[in-house]
Amino acid sequence: MGKDKTKSGPLAQRPDNSAFKQQRLPAWSPMLTANTVLPFFYFMTLICLLLGVWLLLTVQSTQELKLDYTDAGDCKVCYETRLNASNAAQACSCTKEFQLKKTFKGDVFFYYGLRNFHQNLRRYMDSRDDAQMVGRKKSLKTPSSYCQPFANDPDGRPIAPCGAVANSIFNDSFTLTYHGSSGSTIPVPLLRKGITWYTDKNIKYRNPTTENLTLAQVFNGTTKPPFWQKPVYDLDLLDPNNNGFINDDLIVWMREAAFPNFKKLYGVLNRMNKPFTNGLPAGNYTVKISYNFPAQYFRGRKEVVLSTLTWFGGQNYFLPIAYLVTSGLTLLLAIMLTVVWWKFGKNGKNMEE
Amino acid sequence: VDCQSESFRYPQLYSPGQQNLYFNKKVFVRCMMHSWYSSLILFFIPWAAMHDTVRDDGKDIADYQSFALLAQTCLLVVVSVQLCLDTYYWTAVNQFFMWGSLAAYFAVSFTMYSNGMFLIFTSAFPFVGVARNSLNQPNVWLTIFLASLLCLLPVVAFRFILIQLRPTINDKLRHKVQMEALPAPAPRRPPPRRISTRRSGYAFSHAQGYGNLVTSPPGWSPGQTFTLKLSQYSNWWCFLADECRCHCESVHMNIYRI
Repeated sequence: MGKDKTKSGPLAQRPDNSAFKQQRLPAWSPMLTANTVLPFFYFMTLICLLLGVWLLLTVQSTQELKLDYTDAGDCKVCYETRLNASNAAQACSCTKEFQLKKTFKGDVFFYYGLRNFHQNLRRYMDSRDDAQMVGRKKSLKTPSSYCQPFANDPDGRPIAPCGAVANSIFNDSFTLTYHGSSGSTIPVPLLRKGITWYTDKNIKYRNPTTENLTLAQVFNGTTKPPFWQKPVYDLDLLDPNNNGFINDDLIVWMREAAFPNFKKLYGVLNRMNKPFTNGLPAGNYTVKISYNFPAQYFRGRKEVVLSTLTWFGGQNYFLPIAYLVTSGLTLLLAIMLTVVWWKFGKNGKNMEE
Repeated sequence: VDCQSESFRYPQLYSPGQQNLYFNKKVFVRCMMHSWYSSLILFFIPWAAMHDTVRDDGKDIADYQSFALLAQTCLLVVVSVQLCLDTYYWTAVNQFFMWGSLAAYFAVSFTMYSNGMFLIFTSAFPFVGVARNSLNQPNVWLTIFLASLLCLLPVVAFRFILIQLRPTINDKLRHKVQMEALPAPAPRRPPPRRISTRRSGYAFSHAQGYGNLVTSPPGWSPGQTFTLKLSQYSNWWCFLADECRCHCESVHMNIYRI
């Protein structure tokens, strides 16, 4: 802009003669030539092969056990009981035995799984009020209209927590027992805290501020969702910090699963005392289930999953096998490209004008 | 400046556009098949990788919000690399926008999923914590890498095969330019004898000279080779058959870092 444009007329509007304005910037112009593409493909084959083998070895070191208990053995009675909604207040429990052939070494994670339960249905996912769950007093008393028909009870009192997601919370509970080799029956201790994301437990879900009131008094004027047995401030009678909206089980349930077959964390093995210091020893186990969640309404299955983990996650063979298959396909492609290049394009055979 | 670009030297370059070779029904169908294939990969690879697994500390990763972020990130990476494949001239501006847009995606995602945004606009930003909790898992990045490979390797292979079997005019020209650029770096030579009677007056006017472009161009890194087309060089000859009566010869120089 410092140049004096002494001329007027047609040449006065000329842009500056800089590299940028005259579009003469230095440029790198890559081309797909044989000596870049072919080594690249062989290199990718190698990478995928190494990754596939490494991941396969990692996943093979995990152990997993799945137990379907919807209507198996003992649980058939409970299954029939739950068919009838008027029996909802009646307790029912059943037991299921299983055997671990090999010790589950390390940390063992206990999950409950559901099949054919679509938590990803749009109308279901919308039926919640995040403002209420983050502790806003105004939303506690007037839930969002998205929660309909689970926003107010027939008497007009607001429901806390509102919405279909909270209403359908999974309410089976489990106790695990180990039958030792000497005939003793040892209950397996499970840690039921720390099963949620840090951001969920501390940011997304907060109880309304209590000042000098107890939690029950803060929730005064609200009522529990229709399918619940206990109100939200009494969910955990043992730990006062696990009540209200910050209850771990509630938070885990409220994080909607992406797919109809999913599993959610229930607890982690407590390895403080023998014989569980190294994990779950091999042997016979019994799981006692307090059966409350009716599966037949969504024609689904319920299961219990015990799993050890690695840095890669649980036992999912897809990614290792996919990498190995990709490596094979890339090798085939690389060979095909080499043949095509050798026969047709080498030394610019085709490049006459 | 006249007599500058390749399109003057090789007017056949205009013919593919005139013959509708760049966009016709066949090309459109090919584009649709490519996007159909990419869509299947971009959904089913994350689905299969995530549907039965958890984080390395046992907590949830197969939830709706994490899966959405994963599919979205796979898509962004694939689209960016596809754009890189389609960019033929990488100037500093291209580099900035390419890396900048990927960086902007991650910056915006982390901002949208931050605590502050959730607490201010609760119903609009319910994905709080998702980016932090899923993008620190190696599982997620390996899935993104696999999805990108599966989407892009076929494209590269297909283009390479086409260049070998049925090179277009563009491919032939770029090959020719590359072959011309291969000889050893030519030193600055004294002006050769001029054959022409008419040459562009602009080349010798008030410009300050482009010696600095030769000795230290911007954005240079060691070992990188540029094929620079220096249009305003002092020995500027342009050669144009038939149309223009001036005889010039452009100087293509392969410049290595000294």
